[in-house]
Amino acid sequence: MNPRDAYFESITRRHFLGRLGAGIGGAALAGLMGEAGAAGGVMGTHFPARAKRVIYLHMAGSPPQMDLFDYKPALNEWDGKLCPEEMLEKERFAFIKGHPKILGSPHAFAQHGESGAWVSELMPHLAERADDLLFVNSMYTDQFNHAPAQLLLYTGAPRLGRPSMGSWLTYGLGSENQNLPGFVVLVSGDKTPSAGKSVWGSGFLPTVHQGVQCRTTGDPVLYVSDPAGMDRGTRRRSLDTLQRLNEMQYEVAGDPETLTRISQYELAFRMQMSVPEVMDIGREPAHIHAMYGATPGASSFANNCLLARRLVEQGVRFVQLFDWGWDTHGTNPSDDIVHQLPLKCRQTDRPIAALIADLKQRGMLDDTLIVWSGEFGRTAMNEERNGSKYFGRDHNPHAFTIWMAGGGVKAGSTFGATDDFGYRTVENPVHVHDFQATVLHLLGIDHERLTYRFQGRDFRLTDVHGRLVNGLLA
Amino acid sequence: MLRALHHCVLGCLLLMATAMPSAVFAEAPVDFNRDIRKILSNNCFQCHGPDAETREAGLRLDNFAGATADGAIVPGDAAASEVMRRIASEDPGDLMPPPDSGKVLTASERAALAAWIDDGAAYAQHWAFVPPSRQPLPPVKAFTWPRNGIDNFILARLEAEGLAPSAEADRNTLIRRVTLDLTGLPPTPEAVAAFVADTAPGAYERLVERLLDSPRYGERWAQLWLDMARYADTKGYEADRDRPMWRYRDWVIDAFNRDLPFDEFTIEQIAGDLLPDARPDQILATAFHRNTMTNDEGGTDDEEFRNAAIVDRVNTTMQVWMGMTMACAQCHTHKYDPITQEEYYRFFAILNQTADSDRNDEAPLMAAPTAAQAQARRVLQARHDDATEQLHAAARSLASERATWEASVLESSAHLLAFGDWQVLGPVPGDNPKELFDTAFAFETAPELGKTWDGGYRYAPREGLEDGKVYSLPGTSVEANLFFREIESPAAREVTLYFGSDDGIKVWLNGDVVLEHYVGRKVEADQERVIVPLRAGTNTLVAKVVNMGAGHGFYFRAGAYLPAELLAILKTAPADRSAADAQALDAYYAGHAPELAPLRERVAAIAAEIEAVDASIPQIPIMRALPAEARRTTHIQLRGSFLDLGEEVEPGVPAVFHALPADAPPDRLALARWLVSRDNPLTARVLANRFWAQFFGVGLVETGEDFGIQGTPPSHPALLDWLAVVFMDQDWSMKALCRTIVTSATYRQSSRVTPALLEQDPYNRLLARGPRFRLEAEMVRDQALAVAGLLSEKMRGPSVMPYQPDGVWQVVYSGDQWKTSRGEDQYRRGLYTYWRRTAPYPSMVAFDAPSREVCEVRRIRTNTPLQALVTLNDPVYVEAAQALARRIVAEGGASVAERVNFAFECVLARRPVAKEAFAVAGLFRSEQANFAADPGAAEQMATNPLGEAAEGADLVELAAWTVVANVLLNLDEAMTKI
Repeated sequence: MNPRDAYFESITRRHFLGRLGAGIGGAALAGLMGEAGAAGGVMGTHFPARAKRVIYLHMAGSPPQMDLFDYKPALNEWDGKLCPEEMLEKERFAFIKGHPKILGSPHAFAQHGESGAWVSELMPHLAERADDLLFVNSMYTDQFNHAPAQLLLYTGAPRLGRPSMGSWLTYGLGSENQNLPGFVVLVSGDKTPSAGKSVWGSGFLPTVHQGVQCRTTGDPVLYVSDPAGMDRGTRRRSLDTLQRLNEMQYEVAGDPETLTRISQYELAFRMQMSVPEVMDIGREPAHIHAMYGATPGASSFANNCLLARRLVEQGVRFVQLFDWGWDTHGTNPSDDIVHQLPLKCRQTDRPIAALIADLKQRGMLDDTLIVWSGEFGRTAMNEERNGSKYFGRDHNPHAFTIWMAGGGVKAGSTFGATDDFGYRTVENPVHVHDFQATVLHLLGIDHERLTYRFQGRDFRLTDVHGRLVNGLLA
Repeated sequence: MLRALHHCVLGCLLLMATAMPSAVFAEAPVDFNRDIRKILSNNCFQCHGPDAETREAGLRLDNFAGATADGAIVPGDAAASEVMRRIASEDPGDLMPPPDSGKVLTASERAALAAWIDDGAAYAQHWAFVPPSRQPLPPVKAFTWPRNGIDNFILARLEAEGLAPSAEADRNTLIRRVTLDLTGLPPTPEAVAAFVADTAPGAYERLVERLLDSPRYGERWAQLWLDMARYADTKGYEADRDRPMWRYRDWVIDAFNRDLPFDEFTIEQIAGDLLPDARPDQILATAFHRNTMTNDEGGTDDEEFRNAAIVDRVNTTMQVWMGMTMACAQCHTHKYDPITQEEYYRFFAILNQTADSDRNDEAPLMAAPTAAQAQARRVLQARHDDATEQLHAAARSLASERATWEASVLESSAHLLAFGDWQVLGPVPGDNPKELFDTAFAFETAPELGKTWDGGYRYAPREGLEDGKVYSLPGTSVEANLFFREIESPAAREVTLYFGSDDGIKVWLNGDVVLEHYVGRKVEADQERVIVPLRAGTNTLVAKVVNMGAGHGFYFRAGAYLPAELLAILKTAPADRSAADAQALDAYYAGHAPELAPLRERVAAIAAEIEAVDASIPQIPIMRALPAEARRTTHIQLRGSFLDLGEEVEPGVPAVFHALPADAPPDRLALARWLVSRDNPLTARVLANRFWAQFFGVGLVETGEDFGIQGTPPSHPALLDWLAVVFMDQDWSMKALCRTIVTSATYRQSSRVTPALLEQDPYNRLLARGPRFRLEAEMVRDQALAVAGLLSEKMRGPSVMPYQPDGVWQVVYSGDQWKTSRGEDQYRRGLYTYWRRTAPYPSMVAFDAPSREVCEVRRIRTNTPLQALVTLNDPVYVEAAQALARRIVAEGGASVAERVNFAFECVLARRPVAKEAFAVAGLFRSEQANFAADPGAAEQMATNPLGEAAEGADLVELAAWTVVANVLLNLDEAMTKI
């Protein structure tokens, strides 16, 4: 390679990564932003990847595990009784005061599929896919408030300022599509997650790695639409002139950065076409709309599930869905487990089941990892805030259930267990950092070797913790 | 021979390691700092470094004593050194570094180590830990080129590399470059023309002075500091609520504009409150460290987040001033730099003594009036004084009415009130101050003297509690104290009561709540004023004061009743009254005589205006030292956890550096002075390097955030030291530092690059050409608004909310909303844009502005399609293009050619060359034809969102020029400082 070419290759990387990038990260940007020939992670993974992409379904606010997947008959036997004293020892609750009572689940459970997994009646469609799912009933975290818990889950630290999981992955692996961002975020339920955009922020990684929020109303990506009155012909001609002028400048000044800028304007032009195209679910046939329960033009979780499939199909590396409304404290009917929880399940059950089935029928489930989770669990006790007569559960960092499907996970099984009340983990506990290490592993990355130097320290997603949980792997 | 070989290999190694030709070094002997430290640090220190916890086999290689103690290194004999045997070993169990570490020493690294050991294995202190000394200017061959010392260092190196500097940039380029650098804005076409026409000697220097004197200078350079100060308009974390910090931002702008010397700039921000007779602006400066985040979320442990804030302050202080990365030492002794975990917490201890404690109310706060508010306050106060004087004069002139009044007062005893002594009950401890505040205790609803309630609570007299004086309560924890007294009144009447409290206060009169204020604050006189109805006979007054933590106090006085001493004066014959007594009586009369009511009302009206101004004065979080009795002890936090405490530590600084001033307590003030002491090896270097990086795109030390052992060595060490010493010698003047840099011949070079030079020095570290790199986020915006003629010059004040797409702010718990500013506030400079940490302004983020959650000393520049979308399509930039189009048509002459010239002058400070003009004119004509066929589109293109054009304007023409302006504003040259 002649020095000039070597320079062209390095300058992009240098400007993107500030020459701080280490390990496989150097490949990243190239792929993310479509540098010629570099799409898809040139430097390769640490070991063979079981999954190439991730769809993360986050139920923001945190669903109650014992009303959905972690079946606990003892809860109903104890319903309304004061909880055992030992459940309160050294406990700090967000809202519960005094000595709370156990709250049984108002929803019936049954076993499904060959695996015999217990799933609540609230998720009938998902239940049919039980054999595609790996339930992890023994998740736990350190944080019992939404924002820090979401930050811990996505950035490995409970405070602001660290890169999120999707940013780490695009940094490490790049994207497979030159015309789309590598990390896309879709939000439903009218509200962003408690920790704000930091859960898809790039922290100290270069800003190109932050999640790009695709919106279902307005511009799908900020500023992707041409100004009012400008048609594509005018845009094309104006970019042609811009390119000619930039080339003249390059001839005079010789700065290779000018060439990079020219190529980025061309990519922007292509994104103006490709982003609205991929975001237009109207292009899907009616039976697919019916399968997901999607309605073109609406803003819904169902639409976002369908969009997620369209995005990964186009090579987007990490698609993150946030759905708000799962914080079921029971202070009123719009946040309790009798009215609100079934409503949230109705909104999400069919589209999630459809997403799994759809990926499967397209042969993509094998190398796509789907994760469903909240940020922590909920208590076995009724919160009864200010004597509320509605049933709900307070935050519980000690145990929660997530499930995974697709690329490389041990489908049709359940990992770990909680106590009789689903309150604390008793078998195979999986810390959030362990979970992160495992997700990275599935994508072919050693979590201890994907690092970035900042403020004199090598940082990684799992901070200084995390261990691979082999029991989750197929 | 062997030695020669080593050196040759070493030369090659350096060539690779520093990515620059190394003719200068090729002849030099092995130098520990330059050649060896990095090898040891990267490969060995993790297990054989300063951290004893993780040290393997008891061996440390980071100092001479450790390395030579057991023959790991035998000075002068590489062959006998165990280190050499191990790094060359073929046995995987023996090989160092261990194969599973993934670290491999190259042959050249091994050769370098051998050469160094053979040379005697001399260790040296890391270069950055040795204070800079004034470096002599190196001799140069082209002795006419240097304009100041910078150039000698740059040129000497260039000559050694066989390179020559570039020619000076043309005047158009120079004025644009230096105007952008010093003010963050492009020059106006008029300024360009004037500079080009100024052929007298010293034209450039005069330009520089004019720019340094411009108020725009402070705005541009404040932005750099605000990244480091992690300045934002919100508190961070979940709710991320509004926090009015803009008075601090304005302080920074003003400090740059008045060229506050950097040492004072430092001392005021770190410890302005501790200066003797601290001025309000010096205390305001301490808001620097109140830019840490505050967590409002329910159920959070305030101590956890207070602790997180102190950690942030430790890391930020070392990062900003000394370019040191302390963060690692929070959890364990630093792996590379000589900073132990204990030293981390000694440093922490210095900053651990302020009253702020992650409280929702952000206490302690300071009223920080703007200049306008202070002026309004002064005017009102003068009017108030005048009106009061008139009232008193009138009172004195009413002799006969006065006599009648005195008599009537003496006849009636209605004015007489008798106050019993205060009785105090408490403290009543609690976990939650709000709960204590809301709980209705029996002893507050039905107070009784002499009764004992559950828990042993009873009312008892208290020493030292005096009306009209602030009373400090002893407790510092969350607790309530109750104050009870009886008031005898001969008749039903109203009386005004004044209270002060730290913190919340609730007051009952005869069992009815008459005052309720749940607030966190420091106690002061007259914080609350309430008029209460007394009944005839005995009244009971109860006040509950709830402390949220730290300081705790109470204040009370009663107004406008006839106190016993006045009664005594009245009973004295007028002739026998002392002057002071007479005055007291005058004042009282002025305050009560019915005849004087209109004058009194005027005084009261002005007082109300004063109160309104006071209420609008921003309350800014500031630093306040804890009183001596409330000091915290600091412990080592094991693994960085605030719940897992190790040994207690005393305040101090890392031993590798100079000591704190011996003649002062080890507090923040001592720390601030330590930072800017001449003995400090880092501060001046680090700051000079930061300024350098702003002008040249990269610092002399590329890793501006890390001057430690793992950082990159300086490209021009002697120049860095020279600059640092000059900076200090010029009394830490930041303007002088800027002047030195921009008047150098180095800075004034053309940035054009030849392929040969690009190949030899791709990153322009040798500076054989001028700087060329993309503008920063704020400049991109400011430039577009400026050339469009839209930019507002309004300075300071609350942050503004220019246009932002709907939906960027969607928040869960805080009801705050983005309310688009009106009028000129839409067009303010970027640094005035409201900065919400969890959702920063999107176009700024696209151009690499940080979220300001934590300190960021270096923005990484990226070049992405999302940036192109911003400047092509963001309505802010479309609007700028439309406004520029109108300027072009109105001011650019009549012909297309003249208008193209004008447009180039506005955007690029130069005229186009012929083929550029041809291309642009061609675009104009094609779009003119295009829009002529679609008037509706033309109207949209020309007016949406800017608004209607002037009466009779040719919208087709404006639309076509808008397209042209949009192209020009997106030019690589426009986005770049060239």
